[in-house]
Amino acid sequence: MNHQSHAGNTGQAHTNVLPVGLSFPLEVRVHGRGGQGGVTCAKLIATLYSQMGLQVQTFGDYGSERSGAPVQAYTRVDRVAIANRNKVYRADHLIVLDRSLMGPQVLSGAAPGALLLLNTGAGLDSYAGRYTNCRLGTVDATAIAREHGIGSNAVVIVNTTILGAYARLLGVPLAVLETAYASLGLSDDLAAAQHAYDAVQVRDVIRPAGDAPTTSVLSAEMPAVGPLTGHNVDCPPTLMTGAWSSQTPSYQDHDAPCNLACPAGNDVVGFVQALGRDGAEAALAILLRTQPLPSVCGRVCPAPCMQSCNRKSFDGAVNIRSLERWIADHSDLRPVQQAAERRRRIAVVGGGPAGLSAAYQLALHGHGVAIYEAGPALGGVLRSGIPAFRLPREALQRDLDRILALDIDVHCNSRLGSDDLRRLGDDYDATIVCIGFGPAFGLSIPGAELDGVEQGLAFLERVKCGPVSLQGQVLVVGGGNTAIDCARSALRCGATAVKLVYRRGREDMPAIDEEIEDAESEGVRLALYRQPVAFAGNGNVSSALLAEVEAGAPDASGRRRPVVTQRASSVTCDKVLLALGQGQDMDLLPSDWEIRKDRAWRGDQAEQTWFAGDCASGDGTVTHAIGNGRRVALAVLRSLNGEAGELPSGATGTVAPAQIRFSHFEVTPPHRDKQISPSARRVSFEESNLGLSGPEEAGRCFSCGHCTQCDTCLLYCPDGVIRRSGDGYRIDVNYCKGCGMCVAECPRSAMEMHEKTT
Amino acid sequence: MSAQLLSANHGAAMAATLAGRANREGRGFCGGVYPITPSTECMEFLCLQEIEKGRVVRTESEHSAMGVCIGASASGARAFTATSSNGLAYMAENCMAAANLRLPVVLAVANRTLGPPWNLWADHGDALMLRDLGLLQFFCADNQEVFDTVLCAFRLAEDPEVMMPAMVCMDGFILSHSVTMTEISDQEQVDRFLPLTTIPHQLGHTPHTLGQIEVPHQTEMHRQQHHAAMLGVPRVYEGVQDSFEAIFGRRPADAVQAYRADDAETLIVSMGTIGATVERAVTMLRAQGHRVGALRVRMFRPLPVAAIRKSFAGKKRIAVIDRNISLGLGGILWGEVRALAEPGTVVQNYLAGIGGGDVRPEHIVSVLADLLPRQVAGLPEMVEAV
Repeated sequence: MNHQSHAGNTGQAHTNVLPVGLSFPLEVRVHGRGGQGGVTCAKLIATLYSQMGLQVQTFGDYGSERSGAPVQAYTRVDRVAIANRNKVYRADHLIVLDRSLMGPQVLSGAAPGALLLLNTGAGLDSYAGRYTNCRLGTVDATAIAREHGIGSNAVVIVNTTILGAYARLLGVPLAVLETAYASLGLSDDLAAAQHAYDAVQVRDVIRPAGDAPTTSVLSAEMPAVGPLTGHNVDCPPTLMTGAWSSQTPSYQDHDAPCNLACPAGNDVVGFVQALGRDGAEAALAILLRTQPLPSVCGRVCPAPCMQSCNRKSFDGAVNIRSLERWIADHSDLRPVQQAAERRRRIAVVGGGPAGLSAAYQLALHGHGVAIYEAGPALGGVLRSGIPAFRLPREALQRDLDRILALDIDVHCNSRLGSDDLRRLGDDYDATIVCIGFGPAFGLSIPGAELDGVEQGLAFLERVKCGPVSLQGQVLVVGGGNTAIDCARSALRCGATAVKLVYRRGREDMPAIDEEIEDAESEGVRLALYRQPVAFAGNGNVSSALLAEVEAGAPDASGRRRPVVTQRASSVTCDKVLLALGQGQDMDLLPSDWEIRKDRAWRGDQAEQTWFAGDCASGDGTVTHAIGNGRRVALAVLRSLNGEAGELPSGATGTVAPAQIRFSHFEVTPPHRDKQISPSARRVSFEESNLGLSGPEEAGRCFSCGHCTQCDTCLLYCPDGVIRRSGDGYRIDVNYCKGCGMCVAECPRSAMEMHEKTT
Repeated sequence: MSAQLLSANHGAAMAATLAGRANREGRGFCGGVYPITPSTECMEFLCLQEIEKGRVVRTESEHSAMGVCIGASASGARAFTATSSNGLAYMAENCMAAANLRLPVVLAVANRTLGPPWNLWADHGDALMLRDLGLLQFFCADNQEVFDTVLCAFRLAEDPEVMMPAMVCMDGFILSHSVTMTEISDQEQVDRFLPLTTIPHQLGHTPHTLGQIEVPHQTEMHRQQHHAAMLGVPRVYEGVQDSFEAIFGRRPADAVQAYRADDAETLIVSMGTIGATVERAVTMLRAQGHRVGALRVRMFRPLPVAAIRKSFAGKKRIAVIDRNISLGLGGILWGEVRALAEPGTVVQNYLAGIGGGDVRPEHIVSVLADLLPRQVAGLPEMVEAV
């Protein structure tokens, strides 16, 4: 909100509510600090009296009004035209915006019985015995203004708030302020004024000749003047400007939105900054704390971090996913296994991303782990369900090799039943079940049993295992990543044309946006708002009846519910691939067990068996599975050590785009991935995305909420009290006047202002 | 007409805007701007105004800001700029050009001490440095006066008998940043008050040079013409006042503004906002029985010699308060007006508020206390009262 407003039009009808007990000329002095809005405060007071039909004159004491320095502003009021143009020395009303300013200078010249309005967090009682010859009002305008969000991220502006209290002291209704505020464009602050109007505490004059200095002090007297031609050597006195301040800045990390958005819990801003500063090895070291599958996620993650990236509001999100890939592809760093205080043996059932993540974390912490995998090899859906042109086998193998370098026993082709699960409890300290989703959903419509109608996941696994040949028209049903993978794989297997049928709109498709774009550029056609209601054919499917779908009312997820209409048309097809999602299957669970909060319970008895990944959460992405696997693994360790509760989140507040100083950054478009041309890639299972050509993209990261030692605070400090010190900065609090400029200018919100405790 | 709470900087810009729009049927308006404290707000406000025919040109220096005004004015536009202190010093060469080329540019000056050492506050030394260049100079004492004087300055500067630039001064911060109620005139009224700008030597379609070399007798003639035009200004200004009053219903202040001076034995003479504070002190002193009055010199160039001499007649003592100093002589106003007093009158100089010091009614009272015992006629000494 702009408080440095222009004077407004106040030529309207006067409000004739002249307060009682005023004598003229009336002189008001406002004491504040540069940046608190003292001049606007005096101007508002002038506007207030002007509305009452009085003559006004208002001005600031200019020249020393740098941020945080003590400044004064004046308003003079009279029934007749005001001639004199000097400052106010004998104030009838004193308004003090910052209680740390209180002292003889402020009270100088105040007449007995003067009105003194003080912005202070201390209540009226703390002033017992002080300022007894004044009519005293106290109000915590700073707290009120902060509550109402008035000011910048660094400094609270209290002028509009404290005037509510002033109106109360004058005995005028708050409504009088409305016109004054409206004329200066400050109507949004009226609620805060009302708050102060109600909250101000008032004490009447106790001793008319009380303790406050009156007319004989300091600036109320005219200074003696030396000879004009005399040459005075006037050494500036030692002045600890830090004594002025009521607030101090400090360096405080805040949560980057990418970090909060990452389902795996990666320190995204940490690894991106490390890449730019120290290279791939340092970046991978940070990634490997939470992320055992960087080669995989650097290729197939839906990257919620990029969706939440603050740079998106500026010139495009940082290409974080491809930076992760670049790091994984350019460092052979192996994680160092820690020594556990007490080594546990833990079984992990299922070798997909959640199981791998859980096993990795446990092994990293120095525990012995055994993985039981039903299939012939580790990887789960990464191995069987994601086509090679998106995730080459070697990329997955790099990650697996790194994980298996830790102390992990792997038992493949080990499909366990409920008895086996019970038995694991005897051999291991704990068991984590990460068996993923159950069988894929089918379609209960006429013709679904025809040859040529196949589950997409089965098709993708066949394609992974060896060459598959298709011809003619292929229809893919679904809108997720599996559907897109099926469609793109079908093209590569020789299909003449591939049509993807989805019952909602393009923007509702759960698949990664870039993947949809790639599919379209390769020739996949989208049939949106369509749903098959029957397949027909003689032995083999030869056509599908597609009904039109309309968007209905929004469901719990906020997406509009599809409503299938009677309108339908037939399309020819030679192959149908179903990608409709998967259900959860818990055949493994002994019949007398149940799952509560990721853990197995038998009646009131908690078992040392836990559940992680899609079989527990159903989130359906690799990155969610990794995060869930890690969190459950750590919870298991805490439980085994007898520690209760959850780890504290340590949240420090997210950095919103508005808290980034875009003006400190140059517009630089994102570095895009290199791609093989659509015509070349639609006939090949070679990886189609070649990734970034270098790590320069890391330089685009704003480093939201994390200091980069960019020196902006140091350069902007008007008093030069910030110095480099070690890996950060040191603030000389003796000379920091608390202006908040460093905090306001910090490009990345890595600083905070704090109230000084006195 | 509407009353608004405005700073004098904004008032000056508002008047310039109204004047500029009044020339929309002619060659329009042009402002050249470059910021300097404390006149920056005037330029900022001007930049925000919508003027249908004309533009505000942001330049790289005060010298160029006036250069823009010279070019615009020479081609018939109404031209305006504002500056302060060392900005005015840097602009000086082109102020000279505008004056010698007899172009009716109006320049608002928020008076500020010349540096270094740097001082942001009020002092008339910046404007008085340009005293002899051939610009009209006005010193104002309140917000309304700044608004009205900018309008009068355009009318006066563009008068065919005058035809020269005009400077409208306001004390930096004390007036430039003070906010009071200001009557803002309607465009229709300003249109009636300000006829379309007509410059006899306006550049047209035939190329010709302005300000080429001239020989001594030509310069002699030009100075004589310029001086004669200057001397006629007090008379022309009275006509402007009449016309202003007829249209706006209020009379702009006189070239020299007297306050309770007729029966005064002692006269306090000053310029700018000190003059307003003097009036307040006079009110206080009169209540105590002192026969004291005030004279505020509003028009400093040309100096209204006849009016000042008339006010000085019969006075025993005259105090001249200067917010400036001509080093080696004393206060500049004092230096100019002391010869206008009758023989035997004490004309004493006081320096006050130099470098922006706050001048209070109490200071004026102390001036009187110093002046009253001085009875001896003769060459007065300069003292430092405050």
